[in-house]
Amino acid sequence: MYNYRVALLVVFGLYVFSPVVIDWWLAPNGAWYHPFAIWFLLIAAHIFVGFKRGSDEL
Amino acid sequence: MSFSLLQLSLIIIGYLFFLFSAAYVVDRGWIPKRIVRHPIVYVLSLGVYASAWAFYGSVSMAEQYGYGFLAYYLGISGAFLLSPILLKPILHITSTYQLSSLADLFAFRYRSRLAGVIVTLFTLAVALPLLTLQIAAVAESMHLLNAELPSSTLAFAFCLTMVLFAILFGARHVSPREKHEGLIFALAFESLFKLIAITVLGVIALFFVFDGSGDMQNWISSNQEQLISGHTSLQEGPWRTLLLVFFAAAVVAPHMFHVTFTENLNPQALRQASWGLPLFLLLMSLSVPPILWAGVYLNVDAPTEFYALGIGMALNSEALVIMVFAGGLAAASGVIIVTTLATAAMFLNHIILPSYTPSPRFDFYKWLLWTRRLLIASILLGAYWFYSMVSGNVEITLLGILAFVAAVQFLPGVLGVLYWPTANRWGLISGLTAGILVWLFTLLLPLAKLTLGWEYIIPLPATNMENWDVAAMGSFAINLVLFVVISSVTKQKGSERAAAEACSVDTVSRPSRKPLMASNSNDVIVSLSKPLGRYVAEREVHQALKDIGLPSYEDRPYALRRLRTRLEANLSGLMGPTVAHDIISCNLPFQKDAELSEDIYQIEQRMEGFHDRLSGLAGELDNLRRYHKQTLERLPMGVCSVSDEGEVLMWNAAMASLTQIAPKDVTGIRLNTVADPWGNMLQKFLHDDAIRQHKKRIEQQGRPHWYNLHKSIIQASGGQPGGTVILVEDQTETQMLEEELVHSERLASIGRLAAGVAHEIGNPITGIDCLAQSMRYETDNAEVLEMADQIQEQTKRVTRIVQSLMNFSHSGNQTTEHLPVNISTCIDEAIQLLRLSSQGRDIEYRNQCDPDWQVVGDSQRLVQVFINLLGNARDASPDFSCIHIFGYVDNYQVTLHVVDQGSGIAEDKLDHIFDPFFTTKEVGKGTGLGLALVHNIIEEHYGHISISSPVPEHIEDLQRSLSLDNTLPAKDSISANNAGACVTLRLPKVQNNLLEDDSE
Repeated sequence: MYNYRVALLVVFGLYVFSPVVIDWWLAPNGAWYHPFAIWFLLIAAHIFVGFKRGSDEL
Repeated sequence: MSFSLLQLSLIIIGYLFFLFSAAYVVDRGWIPKRIVRHPIVYVLSLGVYASAWAFYGSVSMAEQYGYGFLAYYLGISGAFLLSPILLKPILHITSTYQLSSLADLFAFRYRSRLAGVIVTLFTLAVALPLLTLQIAAVAESMHLLNAELPSSTLAFAFCLTMVLFAILFGARHVSPREKHEGLIFALAFESLFKLIAITVLGVIALFFVFDGSGDMQNWISSNQEQLISGHTSLQEGPWRTLLLVFFAAAVVAPHMFHVTFTENLNPQALRQASWGLPLFLLLMSLSVPPILWAGVYLNVDAPTEFYALGIGMALNSEALVIMVFAGGLAAASGVIIVTTLATAAMFLNHIILPSYTPSPRFDFYKWLLWTRRLLIASILLGAYWFYSMVSGNVEITLLGILAFVAAVQFLPGVLGVLYWPTANRWGLISGLTAGILVWLFTLLLPLAKLTLGWEYIIPLPATNMENWDVAAMGSFAINLVLFVVISSVTKQKGSERAAAEACSVDTVSRPSRKPLMASNSNDVIVSLSKPLGRYVAEREVHQALKDIGLPSYEDRPYALRRLRTRLEANLSGLMGPTVAHDIISCNLPFQKDAELSEDIYQIEQRMEGFHDRLSGLAGELDNLRRYHKQTLERLPMGVCSVSDEGEVLMWNAAMASLTQIAPKDVTGIRLNTVADPWGNMLQKFLHDDAIRQHKKRIEQQGRPHWYNLHKSIIQASGGQPGGTVILVEDQTETQMLEEELVHSERLASIGRLAAGVAHEIGNPITGIDCLAQSMRYETDNAEVLEMADQIQEQTKRVTRIVQSLMNFSHSGNQTTEHLPVNISTCIDEAIQLLRLSSQGRDIEYRNQCDPDWQVVGDSQRLVQVFINLLGNARDASPDFSCIHIFGYVDNYQVTLHVVDQGSGIAEDKLDHIFDPFFTTKEVGKGTGLGLALVHNIIEEHYGHISISSPVPEHIEDLQRSLSLDNTLPAKDSISANNAGACVTLRLPKVQNNLLEDDSE
């Protein structure tokens, strides 16, 4: 149950430091579609984790 | 390139009509439910988020912030990726308590009508810029396609059209509780259409404007300076603010709340939506950079926001322009319809219904429907008024920012609902009010001054398009701080605490077990008829009973409490939680003098629902609870626990088996209302001083049963409710065995007594017989001689009886040999002896046993068995009948049947036929000891004897199959009239090794 609060704290931490991460992510040096490719990989990772977790948890 | 008004009108009306047709087809049930409720439909319907902002405004954002425009997509994607801890709990609360909007959620959780009112008014502040953004996007795009038509006229016509379609989509049904499946399907179609439209445009930009990805990349590299010259840096810019407001939009934007929670048809679909919506938004956003760069490359003569339309015009492609225009229309119309419906519902539930309730004489449902329609029209016309004020001066991106920053003020309250059970209404109201006031004075009014030239008396901060994020974060921070501080220093009310527990992720609500004033469901209808009218009250009560799977009439206290909770939830869906709570509290009150205790049964049921979500120590404790529950459930003794108020809380499986009453039928009802004889017996025992009672006799299904009852008192302590646990132990079998033992003992006593009497009688009888014999030699008097004969005759009879008694009583003392015996020879010997008698000379005995069958036993005693059996058969048989002895042999025993053609034995006498002194013969003809003796002898041989009458079918068949000489007719004249009887003997067969030993 307490995992939820930990997760919220992690999200808050990511949010605070997000400009640094986003600067790297959205840096205009690479190909124009790089930010989208990274975004897609994040979604794919989420799908993978979701399938591993099983259907009864959501 | 220009389009006429007729062409544009046809596109708009045609598109919306097509959309409505799709919804209508779904509402009529012509599309299977499995398709309508498929997760893909839900995911696509969530694409309503991608409004005109995504279609047009993102291009402008991309020009200003570069890849920062992705904040609009990434914020909400983050919220959906976190759906297990953010969205799923809200969905659970809204579906359980029928909450249809954010105002409903806040009013329910914070138990505050004022909170509902404030959220509704602030939602209007969110909805107006949001709706205006959509109206402006469509009107401006129309104006771009036909410069002769004034934007304001186009906007007005569009607003009127949308009023009609919003009513058609969301206010055709009588009850707003029903889900609008057609609307969701139409939204999914819209999302798909706009995705296709923007993707096609992106592909055209990439491959027709540029020569593929490489060419575009080269062009970007060569024009880097020009492209990024106007960019605002992410770290310095409003990145965090944008991310926060779009993250919060998943819950706090009225249209997203409505689609995600209120219209959710399949809760499991949220799982697919957690990655499906981010994927959809990724695809939507993928085309934005190529559109921007193509617009710059083509030097499109249109505002950046409308580059999407401008590219088609620059390429001189009417089809492309129409497709993009329809895509923008799809993006805008979806948001307009859903936002209007959601806002109208909030106004109805939190502003109108609390202040005015129609008389019960009116049709309440109809009144609700027309009020809702009126509100939809008012909100859209209000949006038009707002549009007419800002038209032409404000960019649509700015309108979006204003709307979403206002909406983010609800985020602290939402987090409080889920994760802070002690947050209270004063914290919420003060934080929210402060946040909105700061938003008003630091963002809305200064930007209005900047863009519209408004002048104010009071000084305002110099907010502009570069520093708006400071004002936005400032308003949010003040809201959050006040929410936390005020909630910490003020106290919750009891009702708010209960609602907080019901909503909080970490706790299970603890419903009380107070009894209602209403004693049954009919009383509930009568009580609710006062505010709602008889028709609505009846319909709502029956619907609530149906929802929780109870019959249409209920008088169980537990069921009535559940009915009350469900009624409040259903009425909340109809008229909002505030009004519903007031109606239920006033008209369905609890008994005032009743003690407040917790409903353990309901708590347990709710904990079952949380099972999958418990982890760590809570999970371990829950496993322990389930283990103990299973132990009680599967205990082979009946367990029933009763609360202090006399309600049955537990009824385990063994109890259900003993009583034939299912747990669901008895749990929650008062013990004295349990069906008799159980209700009466358990109620008496509950109030008895004794803690155990032995062998309580009750009649079940016409037969007596005996039960031992034990009870133990559970003392109430430390908030834990008290009660009594009753154990019920079935003693019926033990009691039957005891009775049988007593009967046997009594028979044995009689036997011993009879033997003693026989012995004592034997001596004088012998003397009498001797004297009678002597008397024959002492006289020649014929009379005296006859008298002596009669005396001797009678003494012989007495001697015979005495001998029978002696035989029976001594039968257990005799030693029985266990040697191989030829059973057929024994039967023949018995037949020979019987034929010596003068009785039954016309009876035929047929021994059909195999001469080789051998059993283990004592030949003399077995001969005695057959003499008795065949003698009885002979006595029961009519003249010229036949007695058959036949059987069969298997691996271990020889089975013999002695079948006669006599009158048979009555069914009620069959059970006693082997009892000593029981006879069916006339008085004086039988002692009733013959078959008892046979029974004893057979048992000494480790055999078994049984009797049946009439002769069973399968034995008759066996008999017929063995009569190979065909001398036995299928049913001769004698057996046709008589039932006959069959004695079946089973004796142990001689095994081969025994024979070998014997031969040695």
